[in-house]
Amino acid sequence: MVAASLLAATAAGAADLEAGRRKAEACAACHGADGNATIPGTPSLAGQPVYFTHWQLIKYRDGRRKDPQMTPLAEKLSDTDMADLAAFYAAQPTRRRPASLDPARVAAGKQLAEVHHCASCHRPDLSGQQQAARLAGQDFEYLLRLLRGFKAKTAADLDGTMTVASQPLTPEDIVNLVHFLASLGPDPTSK
Amino acid sequence: MRPVSPIVLAVTLALVPASTLLAQAPPPWKQGQPAEMANSTLAPIAQPPAPKAPGEIPVDKLKVPAGFKVSLWAHGIHNARVMTWGDKGTLFVSSRVAGNVYAVVDRGGQREVKVIAKGLNLPNGIAFKDGTLYVAEVSRITKMPGIEDKLDSPPAMEVVYDTLPKDLPHGWKYLAFGPDGKLYFNIGAPCNICVPPDTHANISRVNADGTGFEYVAHGVRNSVGFDWHPATKELYFSTHARDWLGDDMPSDRLDVASKKGMHFGFPFCHQGDILDPDFGRGRSCGEFAKPLIKTGPHVAGNGVQFYTGAMFPGEYKNRIFLAQRGSWNRTQKSGFKVMMVTLNAGSAPKYEVFAEGWLQGEEIWGRPVYTQQMKDGSLLISDDYAGAIYRVAYQR
Repeated sequence: MVAASLLAATAAGAADLEAGRRKAEACAACHGADGNATIPGTPSLAGQPVYFTHWQLIKYRDGRRKDPQMTPLAEKLSDTDMADLAAFYAAQPTRRRPASLDPARVAAGKQLAEVHHCASCHRPDLSGQQQAARLAGQDFEYLLRLLRGFKAKTAADLDGTMTVASQPLTPEDIVNLVHFLASLGPDPTSK
Repeated sequence: MRPVSPIVLAVTLALVPASTLLAQAPPPWKQGQPAEMANSTLAPIAQPPAPKAPGEIPVDKLKVPAGFKVSLWAHGIHNARVMTWGDKGTLFVSSRVAGNVYAVVDRGGQREVKVIAKGLNLPNGIAFKDGTLYVAEVSRITKMPGIEDKLDSPPAMEVVYDTLPKDLPHGWKYLAFGPDGKLYFNIGAPCNICVPPDTHANISRVNADGTGFEYVAHGVRNSVGFDWHPATKELYFSTHARDWLGDDMPSDRLDVASKKGMHFGFPFCHQGDILDPDFGRGRSCGEFAKPLIKTGPHVAGNGVQFYTGAMFPGEYKNRIFLAQRGSWNRTQKSGFKVMMVTLNAGSAPKYEVFAEGWLQGEEIWGRPVYTQQMKDGSLLISDDYAGAIYRVAYQR
């Protein structure tokens, strides 16, 4: 559990996109070669803010976020690996994940997103910024699982904001919000 | 009877499951923002996910008084915050969102950085006494006895006290041993502005074995830095004031708690002389303790430390160093400096800049958060943004 580094330092600013592309080959089977995943339940990483991806990898590595597949992978990553991967995925064009959406739920979810101030951190178009994730067009099952996790206080939260924000949501609200979030972004059929 | 706060009301309503289309509380940092500021783009500065490489740390931009010299002492310490010395010369360094506690060992001019605990819940507070390192996370204080002999195989963390509130907003702690041997820490207000529960917005203490919890100071929004005057033993502490009252209001503060049980005004009165527009109604600032110094709006004073070393010129003895992490809720940035305070018997304290340069124009490359004296009397300054520690020395 102890990591030591003799002034071997790393730098977010020195992130290498090409190195990130090579390192991301190990992630492609689940997350897609360009970070646009196709497996339901697996999140797309394309277009995620650099800080977001990097912070999630740190949390997997130090155990604050847990996943049977991600934990062992992240434990092997250095800070430089993480910075390279985050830079690569942030630079990839995003595609909306296919989902069967109910227009009434999309409309209800849009209203909920306003009432619950999602745009305050995730930007008005919900494309994310800094450590706040891109939500627009993300995988339906993944969004559902994560929001339910925040509500249940079991999902890893960098600073508690999402756990607090999700407490007032009813199970129905969560489904409606996910319909709305999954509806955003470019049409998946027009590549 | 206190007025019912709109926030408490909103939270209560939010518990009613029937409809969540009622107004909901915004994220904690945005809470208290008035309607006319709804389009403001001000938001907290994001913590970078990795420390900066030495080449990205422009130490030459730091300005200190004539005769002083500043150098990069250690780097690669992600989110470096509080620094405290072990008996055997180890510098322990905390972090906040990085979740780590570090040990920095000096190896003849090279500093080796070891992670001795990770995955913790905002472990800002660390203190060392009699061979034991104490760590304060949001809701608990733990200890690692004999840690300096086991830096490469750290012992399990033993619980000292674990019934503190779990609220994350302002939930991170400063932790220090007082002259009475007790462990002091803050319990911040769980909001930007609200009437906090009686259990919050204070400085508290417990005995080193976790017994004897008691409140020391009330009406303290969030103090994440304090120290005791070397002669009078009074508690001096910094406090971050509320946001969203504009660029120049209210001022942060440096206070003195000369006795137990004083109230410092939050949420009713800010900076000792202005009532809160929502929560101040029916109250008077005369009810509360006044700040020793109004340290400036949004400057975010963290580390407070009396200088007791022998290296700096004589006039520095018992001066206070106040590290200011800097503003986010201000259109022109303020803070990002280490200030110094000279106490004068019978007259106002002198308040002036000691180190600056982390802010260049409106761009920042670092944020000073805490100071720590070295045995030779030089001063270390931690920077949680660059993940670095600087050393300021005086050369005659």
